[in-house]
Amino acid sequence: MPSARRLWDRYRSASPITIALLALVLGLVVGAVIIIATTPAILNAWRGTFHSWGAPGHALKVTFDNVGAAYRSIFTGSIVDPPQFWHSVTTGRGWTASLTPLSETLTYAVPLVIASIAVGITFQTGLFNIGANGQAILGGIAGVAVATLVHLPMALHLPLTLLAGIAGGVVGGAIPGLLKAYTGAHEVIVTLMFNYVASYFMLFTLLSTPLQLPNQTNAISRTMPGGTQLAPLFGTSSGLRVNYGIVVALAVTLFAIWLLDRSSIGFEFRMTGANPHAARASGINARRTLVISFLISGGLAGLAGVAWVAGTTHYIDQNFLQGSAGIGFTAITVALLGRNRPIGIVWGSLLFAALEVGGSNMQANTGIPYDLATVIQSAIVIFVATPVLVKEIFRLRALRAESVKVATAGWGS
Amino acid sequence: MTTLAASAAKVRQPLGRTKAIGWFIVVVGLFTMFGMGVGTGTAPHSTLTFTPIDVSHGAPWHLANLTLPTEWTLVLLGAVIVALGAEVLVRRLAKGAMVRVGLMAIVFLVAVLVWASRQPGPSQVPFINVTAILVGSAAITMILIYGSLSGILCERAGVVNIAIEGQFLGGYLVGEMIDSATNNWLLATVGGLVIGALLGWLLAFLAIRYLSDQIIVGVVIVTMFTGLASYFNSWVLTPYPNLNNGNIASNLAIPGLMKIPIIGPTFFDETGFFYLMLVLVGLVSFALFRTRWGLRVRAVGEHPQAAAAVGISVERTRYVNVILGGAVAGVGGVAFAAIQGQFTPSITSGFGYIALAAMIFGRWRPSGAVAACTLFGVSAYLAYNLQSYQVPISTEILLMFPYLITIAVSAGLVGRVRPPAADGIPYSRE
Amino acid sequence: MRLELRGITKKFGSLTANDHIDLIVEPGQIHCLLGENGAGKSTLMNVLFGLLQADEGEILIDGEPVRLANSGDAVRRGIGMVHQHFMLVPVFSVAENVVLGFEPTRSLDRLDYARARENIRSVSREFGLEVDPDATVESLPIGLQQRVEIIKALSHDAQLLILDEPTAVLTPQEADALMAIMRSLAASGKSILFISHKLKEVRQVSDVITVIRSGRVIGSVPPTASENELAAMMVGREVSLVVQKSAATPREPVLEVRDLVVRDDRGLAVVDGVSLEVHAGEIVALAGVQGNGQTELVEAITGLRHVESGSVVLAGRDITNHSPREILDAGLGHIPEDRQRDGVVLSMSVADNMVLNTPRRAPFARHGTRNLRAVRDHAETLVESFDVRTSSVEAPLSSLSGGNQQKVIVARELSRPLEVLVASQPTRGLDVGSIEYVHREIVRVRDDGHAVLIVSSELDEVMALGDRVAVMFQGRITGIVDPSTSREDVGLLMAGSAPAGTR
Repeated sequence: MPSARRLWDRYRSASPITIALLALVLGLVVGAVIIIATTPAILNAWRGTFHSWGAPGHALKVTFDNVGAAYRSIFTGSIVDPPQFWHSVTTGRGWTASLTPLSETLTYAVPLVIASIAVGITFQTGLFNIGANGQAILGGIAGVAVATLVHLPMALHLPLTLLAGIAGGVVGGAIPGLLKAYTGAHEVIVTLMFNYVASYFMLFTLLSTPLQLPNQTNAISRTMPGGTQLAPLFGTSSGLRVNYGIVVALAVTLFAIWLLDRSSIGFEFRMTGANPHAARASGINARRTLVISFLISGGLAGLAGVAWVAGTTHYIDQNFLQGSAGIGFTAITVALLGRNRPIGIVWGSLLFAALEVGGSNMQANTGIPYDLATVIQSAIVIFVATPVLVKEIFRLRALRAESVKVATAGWGS
Repeated sequence: MTTLAASAAKVRQPLGRTKAIGWFIVVVGLFTMFGMGVGTGTAPHSTLTFTPIDVSHGAPWHLANLTLPTEWTLVLLGAVIVALGAEVLVRRLAKGAMVRVGLMAIVFLVAVLVWASRQPGPSQVPFINVTAILVGSAAITMILIYGSLSGILCERAGVVNIAIEGQFLGGYLVGEMIDSATNNWLLATVGGLVIGALLGWLLAFLAIRYLSDQIIVGVVIVTMFTGLASYFNSWVLTPYPNLNNGNIASNLAIPGLMKIPIIGPTFFDETGFFYLMLVLVGLVSFALFRTRWGLRVRAVGEHPQAAAAVGISVERTRYVNVILGGAVAGVGGVAFAAIQGQFTPSITSGFGYIALAAMIFGRWRPSGAVAACTLFGVSAYLAYNLQSYQVPISTEILLMFPYLITIAVSAGLVGRVRPPAADGIPYSRE
Repeated sequence: MRLELRGITKKFGSLTANDHIDLIVEPGQIHCLLGENGAGKSTLMNVLFGLLQADEGEILIDGEPVRLANSGDAVRRGIGMVHQHFMLVPVFSVAENVVLGFEPTRSLDRLDYARARENIRSVSREFGLEVDPDATVESLPIGLQQRVEIIKALSHDAQLLILDEPTAVLTPQEADALMAIMRSLAASGKSILFISHKLKEVRQVSDVITVIRSGRVIGSVPPTASENELAAMMVGREVSLVVQKSAATPREPVLEVRDLVVRDDRGLAVVDGVSLEVHAGEIVALAGVQGNGQTELVEAITGLRHVESGSVVLAGRDITNHSPREILDAGLGHIPEDRQRDGVVLSMSVADNMVLNTPRRAPFARHGTRNLRAVRDHAETLVESFDVRTSSVEAPLSSLSGGNQQKVIVARELSRPLEVLVASQPTRGLDVGSIEYVHREIVRVRDDGHAVLIVSSELDEVMALGDRVAVMFQGRITGIVDPSTSREDVGLLMAGSAPAGTR
């Protein structure tokens, strides 16, 4: 069995992909532990076992049932529900229900791919853009504003809406970029604070500007007209939300591959990120590079925001990208998971989108809150960021993957 | 560890920024004098009151209300701001410039308050309660100081603890649950301490043992704990609401001292967490700068190789300090719960990050951090408080203020403060 | 103290840094450990000082085997070390630095500063090493900082003192003073282990010289051994420190530096009115002890540091305070002092490093898109013609040896249109073969009619390579002399005093 042997060797040699897969396993284990520690039914079963000195069979069964149900829901909610799918194959009906999980995962992956590439570009430049969420919010606001408040022929309206989203994000990226370039303010603090500013700014626009839905006191915007929406891929009647945002995400991925691997400016980004001293000595203008990197990153984050609104809800309210829905924060973890490379980020986005979408299904089926998905995602990233730890846990031999040492040197002051 | 921009900034003339700051302060002052002051119209007045809102301990004293002519008060406050700016310009204060900006922010907010409460005017609240403002500011300041002390403990040993926000959240959640269950803040404090220490350990473990990027790991830990807190909130606290209905901690008034007007209610009629914070500030100052332990910690943060060369364990020192720092932030989270009550998932709203900025502003010293936290605390409280005065500024814009001032301060500071030399740099022996 | 090392072996992965090293230091002896950079001296010292653990072998102190798990153990056993890069906390006072790790305390764990000062004063008195206990270390000159390191070791009652390359940062005169201190310490019964790669000072001060090469002990000889003998032992073959070159034929000036004033990060004028001309077809070598402004001077010329006043003119163009990009494009080739920091990106491929400062130039890129084939072809040509040893041009630069990394830089700089080549410490840390290669290339650049400015703290290199030798001391050029000038006279210039007969 030489091929099995080779697989085993590949496993033991700990390539980045092996590490990522093992990190996924460990992340799910962490999630399971949390479920066990917080679910009354499981705890009661174990308490009963301890009180009666009985065999743990029942408690184990309860544990497996609960955890199993949770993870089964994540899978069936995000990828495919086999019985339902089989039903569709044999009867030819119910395709909407069969394909909804995949459609939802792809729908959610669209803004995630774009935002994660945004974060990844700054990481490659040696900068940490924690403000992607705020930039995405600005992008969403700008996009909705152009879509609802400006009247244009349809052929122009959608492109301009997307461009407005980019422009909104560029403004959000310019703030930390310019402040860092011209005053040296640390981008981590600026972008962290900026997220809160952007959230309040959104509330302001939703409550006190013409963007607010007329005759409303709640924080809710007007709805984007049909011509500015990213239409469902299979038509509105299909009932599937997956939309032309996929094309946008694909274009962004291709752009990022060109930018990072083939363009001169991308070469300068990577040089600056890998060794700022050598970059400077080689004639690269550090200030210009970091500003451009932040502008591109902000613009893409803004595009992620507008792509999400235009592809799904078509309006924004006070929950837009807040809390667990903050794709800009998930994007940081995706970028780390994908090692800041476009293709890696696409895979990472699909995985994390599946976890999010599946998490909602888990909440619907078992009541376990979907926030567990965030915890699992963060755990995965912690393991990916410390491959040595994964190596020790699984007793791998060599280590080809390196610890994450991307951005951020101290406070830079 | 000069970063990109720091090296780019080196070429710049440092005087340019000082000048810009000076002129900015002067412009704000002139705006206060002429934009707000002279324009107030037909001789309005503003009233200051001093009676604390919470008079349960009985205010044994009574200070008469102070009524000021709004126009002249604003002109005077504006003149003070102009003087601050002029001082920066004339004396070319490179180092103290940001302190003047801080003072300007507070004076300006006071001016806005005076302006907003003018009578006759649009405000429904016809007075400014000075004591209430100070008491409210003290509460926010206290939270920030816990966070800053945590940051100092970690960064003096060379580890950036950006997970303070998560430790706040953890302390808040656990503290609130324990208090709800036992009605005992002491137990809650122990619980917060433990969860904070655990999160500190996690950061230390990843940053020290695996040499990971401390800022990234810190941010991911915050993300993880935010998710976990949300999860907990809906999975445990919602079905068991009696785990999330703790009381606000009652005050422990210090007999006698509490009766001093204004100062008494602010400093001597506080929760136990406030006094604990004061003790911690003194303790950390003393320990860091007077003791053998502190010398070793600072050596590890400045030059870990030198510390290792005389047999000090860099790893152990960093572990201990990051865990201690986590514990302090955890207790800070409990203190947050003690003044704020019920837990909600995003309750800490970035205070952990603001505390970190305050620590930088305070030059990694407890005394400096106290000053910086006071600035942030007072301005945050004033910004929130302005909402009740019908000022023609949206609530949402006012709520941005604490974050905006943090951005402004961090932009004005760089190159003027010097972090511990090994701060944020993983240490490995070989 | 009598120290004996038996069969010390230390491996890092596949590299054997120390291979069964035996060594004996007698009480009161000055024992020199001589070897090239990378021969394993520092590793051995770190093992002896408890910073690293040996894989095999044992350490005996006064005949008794000891285990040194960390440097604290070593210090308690009476071993003191003066590191090459001082182990001093710059923002601490002298007293705080000296007592660190062994602090006298009062109640409540408080530091007892009075006793700390008294300790220092008593050590100062006993060995004649004066220093103010309350001065902040970063405010002291280098020589005094080294003195603090020695006091630190002595205050812990060290019986054996390890001095790791102690003269690298000193002027010849400061170095002489250090030798005197070493002799007096030895006379008072302390043993001294002195690490160096400088033949002259080793012969001057040692009682015994042990030479190591590639992690092995080659042999021990008395200080009467000749320099050629020692050099041969160090490098394994007879070497000539003479660079083969013809007489220079200088033409018009290409690089003109006028009254240059440059400040360092702390705002001190570390380059204080330097004027210098480098002509086409000549090598000007800038000598001087490290830290006398050479680094900042080169940074100012290459556009990496702001010029306070004065001017830099390159081939008739004023490039003062121009950006590094403009200066590189004006025809300045730069081999930086700290090559891994400023010269290469270790994680990038050899090919990418070959175009590090010309990524946007045709044919490597067009309209903002890189032509990866052109980049690769270019790299393959250079790897071939400069004999860079690498598995492929796509291999990351970090997989190359230090000498080959330097070759990549040299190849890159020489493949661009050039007016002047500025090379800082071009052979630091390289093996002998690479040194000869780099020297030959530099002479070739000169012979092609370019101007060359070399900065080196190795006096031998400066004298062998330069057609004119400029000496820098405390931010000023103290003299420009012919390379035939005696070493003593150059030494005097390096210490700031002008010998008779120089200009």
